[in-house]
Amino acid sequence: MGAWSSVLGGFPRSRHVRKVLRDYERGSVTHGELEAAVAEASALLIGAQLAAGLTYVTDGMVDWHDIFRPFVESWRNVTPTGLLRYFDNNYFYRIPLFTGKPEPKGLVLAPRVRRFAKLAEPAGLKVVLPGPYTFAAMSEVRGLEREELAEAIAKLMGSEVRAAVEAGARAVQIDEPLLSDQEAERDEAVLAAELASKVAKEAGEAKTILAVYFDVPKAEVYEALLEAKVSCLSLDVIDAPERAAKLIASKGLKEGCAALGLINARNVYDDDLGKLEELFLSLTKGYEGEPGVTTSTWLDLLPYEYGIRKARILGLLAQRLGVR
Amino acid sequence: MYSVPKKFPTTIVGSYPKFSAAQEAIRRRKAGEVSEEEFRELVKPAIREAVEDHLWAGVDIISDGEQAREDMVVYFAERMRGYAVGDWVRIFDNEYFRKPIISSRLEWVAPMTVDHWRFASSISQGRPVKGILTGPYTMMEWSFDLHYKDRRELILDLAKAIRREVEELVRAGAQYIQVDEPALSTRPWREDAELLKEALDIIFRGIGAKRIVHICYGKLEKILPYILDYPVDQFDLEMVNSDFRLLPYLKEYGYNKELAFGAVDVHKLQVESVEEVEAAIDRVMRADVVGPEKAYVKPDCGMKRLPREIAREKMKNMVLAAQRAREKY
Ligand SMILES: [Zn+2]
Repeated sequence: MGAWSSVLGGFPRSRHVRKVLRDYERGSVTHGELEAAVAEASALLIGAQLAAGLTYVTDGMVDWHDIFRPFVESWRNVTPTGLLRYFDNNYFYRIPLFTGKPEPKGLVLAPRVRRFAKLAEPAGLKVVLPGPYTFAAMSEVRGLEREELAEAIAKLMGSEVRAAVEAGARAVQIDEPLLSDQEAERDEAVLAAELASKVAKEAGEAKTILAVYFDVPKAEVYEALLEAKVSCLSLDVIDAPERAAKLIASKGLKEGCAALGLINARNVYDDDLGKLEELFLSLTKGYEGEPGVTTSTWLDLLPYEYGIRKARILGLLAQRLGVR
Repeated sequence: MYSVPKKFPTTIVGSYPKFSAAQEAIRRRKAGEVSEEEFRELVKPAIREAVEDHLWAGVDIISDGEQAREDMVVYFAERMRGYAVGDWVRIFDNEYFRKPIISSRLEWVAPMTVDHWRFASSISQGRPVKGILTGPYTMMEWSFDLHYKDRRELILDLAKAIRREVEELVRAGAQYIQVDEPALSTRPWREDAELLKEALDIIFRGIGAKRIVHICYGKLEKILPYILDYPVDQFDLEMVNSDFRLLPYLKEYGYNKELAFGAVDVHKLQVESVEEVEAAIDRVMRADVVGPEKAYVKPDCGMKRLPREIAREKMKNMVLAAQRAREKY
């Protein structure tokens, strides 16, 4: 039946990028030199994804310290603060501290899209952003209600998305990893789905993907997410394949389009393509929508070479399934 | 011989801010300028400073400050057979560490911590020094595996290697053995908790020392029912940072081991006053989970990320608060 394919998000930094970033922080490299190094690294990663034959590619986001940071840095009334463990990874993000409604100083995504959309052809360039629910919930908030903040973030993300699509983005991915938490409640998923719908509304013709990863969500959470007005719902299958299979068997895949995170982005094994093909076929049996395959999470917590290798393995899986 | 107080003994989780001698030694070892033996010697002045700080504060059961350990997983990976040189992965911002890669069967080769344990004990003025090892679950979770492809097989081999190190420490005279498992609470699943139990059985069976497991942060309450029968004498837990959320659960499940509880927060730069630490002890006592004889007072977690002055002051106030608690309870 075939499947579209895309890496879920960012890539690891090469040794060179790490060094340039370090030198920039020390002041021995200018901002222009840093930007040039990041652009080269991004172009290379786009090339690697094209070579793997992926349908949608990302610019790799190698300059993002964590998923929230570029937005935190381009908005007023929010600053990055202390470190906190990011889900079950041995990796830490900086907790954004909001002291008021965020106001944009500039756009994060559109300038990147202008730079890379043409380069990404014939693949579509995908932009990735943190979902308003996860963003607000993983921040420290002072002087406004958390829900009010989530609404404000959704509004800003809507503008980000509109500008990114105008600049040429062909897919928009909204990440809500927090909803994979086994303690997440249905109400939270309902809110997250509403906010994601608001962001996705601004995406025009681009494909919109709501992505939940690091674990498989609970059934009632998944049900609420199925209601989101996005083109596609993306699940991390490989972190808990049995629970994912059970969930999909009982609740089905999202009508229209569903993405399955099959390539393990958190280990360095070469994934077993035969087994994954079987798993894919069993999960999508009788499905009439458009299936996609992705990495289980972002690739940014792997060593660089393995990040690139995993993109290639994803491409091989897609090839095996038949490109749509 | 120093006698540890019967009520509210004070202790630490293990890591302490790195002194410059240790930083320099780690750098030189990485650059290949010194051998393992030379490295061990070079670290000792830093261990001396860490031990002196513990003594200055009056902590009863101390550590070597883990001065030799650049990272709790990498340190052991570099000294076991079966690990290949790790590859760079991000830990935060633009900070990277070499995440170890398991490339063949894991085996203990030679003592990894005994020399520094012995050195710390020789200058501790009789106070007991904990033997502290990174646990098999955390070693597994925070490494890449290219060899086993089976978590159970992998963790059991790690457990055998760690068991061997425990035996060496006990033979050298260690009375307290602590296994650190910070990764456990990040994946609070029953299967994982049970896997670690099997591993701890291997590590601790028949060991004639106080057996401790340190676990911190995350959603521990979700797996509490599956860990309370671990073969250990003492759980060493974070408490302040999560506002003592675990206490009612411990009560509910009929907790009956010793409890070393966090009474100062290592994520806060502000030094808790003696009264604040006392209030933390009071909270644990009010929860009626353990009596004063089974209650150990300590920081939530290792103190390596704190500035040294703050770490020292936090320990000092903790010791003073425990002294007051001994009069009260
Ligand atoms: Zn800890």
